[in-house]
Amino acid sequence: MERAPQQSSDSILATFSVDLLIQILDRVADSRDRKSWRQVCRGFLHAEALRRLSLRVLRLEALQGLLRRYAACLERLDLSACPSLDDHALAAALASGAGLWRLRSINLSRASGVGWRGLAALAKACPHLEAVDLSHCVGVGDREAASLAAAAGLRDLWLDKCLGLTDVGLAKVAVGCPALEMLGIKWCLEISDIGIELLAKKCQNLRVLDISYLKITNRSLQFVSSLRKLEDLSMVGCSHINDEGLQFLNNGSNSLQTVDVSRCENVTSSGLISVIEGHKYLQDLNIGDCFPELAPLFLSKLNYLRDSLTVLKLDGFQVFAPSLKIIGLNCRNLVEIGLSKCKWVTDEGVSELVAGCVNLTTIDLTCCHLLTNKALVAIGDKCKNLTCLQLESCKLITDNGLDCIGTCCSNLEEIDLTDCTMTNAAMKYLSRCSELTVLKLGLCDKVSDEGLVHIASNCKKLRVLDLYRCFEVTDDGLAAIATGCKRIKNLNLCYCTRITDLGLKHLSCLEDLHDLELRGVHCVTSLGITAIANGCQHLTELDLKHCHLVDDAGLFALGQYTKNLRQANLSYCQVSSMGLCNLLGSLKCLQDVKLVHLTQVPVEGFESALRASGGRLKKLKLLTGLRHLLSPGLIQMLQARGCRIRWVDKPLNLVP
Amino acid sequence: MHPKQMPTFEACSSMSSESRNLNQNQRATEFDARETEQSLPKFSSHLDNSFHQSNQAQRVAMNWDPRAVLNSLDILGQKIHQIQDIVRSTLSDERQLSIQPNEFAAQQQLINTDLTCTIIELISTAGTLLPLIKNALASGINSSGQIGGIANSASDLDLVDILRQNDNNLLSEGTKDSEYEELIKGLSDWDDEGMKPISTEDNDVKDNEDGVSGENLPLGSYEVLQLEKEEILAPHTHFCAICGKGFKRDANLRMHMRGHGDEYKSPSALAKPTKEGSSEPVPIKRYSCPFIGCKRNKEHKNFQPLKTILCVKNHYKRSHCDKSYTCRRCNSKKFSVMADLKTHEKHCGSNKWLCSCGTTFSRKDKLFGHIALFQGHTPALSMDEVKSQGMSVQGQSDEVMAKEEDIDYLISGNVIEDTNFSGLNGTDNDLGYFSSMNFDSFTFGGIDGLQQPSFDTSESLFSFHK
Repeated sequence: MERAPQQSSDSILATFSVDLLIQILDRVADSRDRKSWRQVCRGFLHAEALRRLSLRVLRLEALQGLLRRYAACLERLDLSACPSLDDHALAAALASGAGLWRLRSINLSRASGVGWRGLAALAKACPHLEAVDLSHCVGVGDREAASLAAAAGLRDLWLDKCLGLTDVGLAKVAVGCPALEMLGIKWCLEISDIGIELLAKKCQNLRVLDISYLKITNRSLQFVSSLRKLEDLSMVGCSHINDEGLQFLNNGSNSLQTVDVSRCENVTSSGLISVIEGHKYLQDLNIGDCFPELAPLFLSKLNYLRDSLTVLKLDGFQVFAPSLKIIGLNCRNLVEIGLSKCKWVTDEGVSELVAGCVNLTTIDLTCCHLLTNKALVAIGDKCKNLTCLQLESCKLITDNGLDCIGTCCSNLEEIDLTDCTMTNAAMKYLSRCSELTVLKLGLCDKVSDEGLVHIASNCKKLRVLDLYRCFEVTDDGLAAIATGCKRIKNLNLCYCTRITDLGLKHLSCLEDLHDLELRGVHCVTSLGITAIANGCQHLTELDLKHCHLVDDAGLFALGQYTKNLRQANLSYCQVSSMGLCNLLGSLKCLQDVKLVHLTQVPVEGFESALRASGGRLKKLKLLTGLRHLLSPGLIQMLQARGCRIRWVDKPLNLVP
Repeated sequence: MHPKQMPTFEACSSMSSESRNLNQNQRATEFDARETEQSLPKFSSHLDNSFHQSNQAQRVAMNWDPRAVLNSLDILGQKIHQIQDIVRSTLSDERQLSIQPNEFAAQQQLINTDLTCTIIELISTAGTLLPLIKNALASGINSSGQIGGIANSASDLDLVDILRQNDNNLLSEGTKDSEYEELIKGLSDWDDEGMKPISTEDNDVKDNEDGVSGENLPLGSYEVLQLEKEEILAPHTHFCAICGKGFKRDANLRMHMRGHGDEYKSPSALAKPTKEGSSEPVPIKRYSCPFIGCKRNKEHKNFQPLKTILCVKNHYKRSHCDKSYTCRRCNSKKFSVMADLKTHEKHCGSNKWLCSCGTTFSRKDKLFGHIALFQGHTPALSMDEVKSQGMSVQGQSDEVMAKEEDIDYLISGNVIEDTNFSGLNGTDNDLGYFSSMNFDSFTFGGIDGLQQPSFDTSESLFSFHK
């Protein structure tokens, strides 16, 4: 049995054997704790390396070293945070981790630099590869698909928005990977019926298929219906598919459980009836934004799915109270219902619905303008297990409605109150929900520090807090949040104009903060930004638009500390060439940057800053005026490296 | 109608087959001499009558040689006398009864053979008169029912072939056994094959066109026209009678004629000329290719006629002319018909759908159907596939083999590209290499027959404006 190398003779930990350490490590769940573990000693580090199955790489530079250490046991590798990954880097990494024999899953999402050579090397190096995610790699085409097809054991493949992929590439994959179980080809606009037909013939094991937004016709569904093992079919926005196509699904020869036909304009009730008749075990049905009105026959057919149906999304329909009553009677096991942007949803209707479906956990009532507190009372009364409630723009709801929710639904995790007339009293009621993780209070301009103090007092698990245009919120409120809700990840403080550097200083203790939006918070200066940069080192997104007082000092701090920053909006900031150059040069992860109306930066400043970014940028927003001032070579270089430049022509508007 | 006339023909046809089998013929014994005596002279006299009546009227129009007709009729008379003699001899043999049965049988067999031969010659001689009879019928003057019957039944027989073979022997009375057999065979062939198109190549095309139109041809029969090479290849088919300018279309000529005077501007002059005598049934016309030895030439034994003049033009250019139009994209495909080139150029250079096994397809769905059928086949559009396909020769079609130089070139291109692995810009050229490969699978053989343009006006393409 291998002994951990002794770090110091008196350390008791050094005497533990590796298997014991692994036993202990298995009981350490939190990632931060694991990080601490790694830092204890070499023995602990080694034990962790032997136990690590998945790895998400944040910075490309570290990839080789990490793989050298973890290659032996690694099963899942996530490189989606390294968009500058290219064939060379991938090939080199694969070579350094020469024993990547166990790797089963790799995520290369948005790695637009990866081409067919890299994928061919990947398929060769990892014989056990089962899952590959290439979604949003817009450069991936048939050739890349052909390289990938060499991985014969592939089961999961996601190719969303691989714009170059055609039927030929799909055929390559279909022939090369007959064991495919999950396939996503959303937005691969070149794929046609012919490709789908071949796919259905060659990959009979498909369980999950996403063909959303393809220009396929009913013919495709005819072949899809022959996939016996198919459980999950997404075909969002397939406007060429109509009821005749859905008729093919009537035979029930596949095992469909989830069907998403939302935004299919030509689908009507009769087509959906044939789907329901064919599949008595359907669990999840999304028919949002298809056709305006629910036919009574369709509603009565839901009775077929009485026992199985758990999720029903009816976004954009005209849903009257009787319809909701029938749904409540027919779908007793419903767990999630989507009524977003539905017209004519009334208190009566919601009461009838929840009277039948007592197991509901997720209710989406976004933009159901007619709802009042009565509906909330009914929901709170019946749905004790409620976890998610979306009430955006339900303007007739008041604080008293939330009293019931806060009291009865103690499991509530997510609530969206954007654009509702809420006050601090509502926050007090909500603070009873200790499980709350997502709270959206955008445009609730009556919520002030007092409300936040209530939230911070009990909602320790809060991860997302949206205070967009909550003018009353001040530094004190932030202080309370920073003390009470340590795990906040996303924080939106746009146009909370009373916030100053002091507030940001309070926030700087939020180590988990990833996304901070400070648009239009014009009192903030570089001091506050420096505090944030110092404290919140995981920051990946930062919006400083219209923060007129932020200058180079802030950027220096960001450049120095927030190494993970990926998106930055610096428009209208008082930064100079030097600050910009420093920021773009030092942040290796920066992908998306908006640089509109930087009045202090001359053309040469932009030129040198963009050159300093070294072609890592994927998205860039600049004023149209710069288009002809910047050197063509620079623009060409940026575009050649996969950067999309958006030229905007906006008047200089200093007042947000 | 003379009922006795038809049995004569029946008898002779049945005899022909029976004599070949060398069996004693029931019909032959029933064959009544008196009947023959009565019917045959009548038959000939009818023929004579009809022809003599129609001669005067038809001579100008039909342009036939009366001497030849007389000659044929003389021969017919001789043949009839021969038959009469043979039958009389059998009668005299029967009266004697002194001969042994065996001898009698042998003698009767001999007589039968003679009889058969003579009757066949009779028929074939009558056949030479057939076109004339037809014309006589067409003119509608004194066409008696008997002759109509003869013409019908005779036209059912493909006599002309037999006739041609034995033209020389017709005048000489002494015909030999081998020739009998040949004649018998000819008749039996006609029996087996049933109806055959009659190739009436002895008719001159011009004569027919100038002559009275609206021939009442028997069902399934048609007229064969043959244009000369110069006519087929002429760029213009309509010529102005005044200035001689040529036009492709009649309508263009009519438009042109307006410039020559007001008389051409009248609505009737500008109107599309309607066919004269449209009330009469229009004869079915078919066309023959002037190229001797071509299957589309009427001399060919399996002659397949062309339907329209446009077919003739396209066929002649495709099959018997140089291919002067070269595709400007691939510089390899050549065509003799401009329309073919245009059709090809539409597809040339566009994606040729290629399978990993080397088979090419002109359409994607065909390729995908192929891939769905065969395990392990994939569509090949990238360089590596072409390379591997170049290596593994098995399963390649001849077409691919023929283009091997192209593949070699492709492989070399690929190798060069592979060597500078780091250079990403090399990939851009791949498509360029690929498009240079031209697996052209178009074949135009056999299209002639398929193409049947429905131009009603094609008949009038060669008319002069008068």
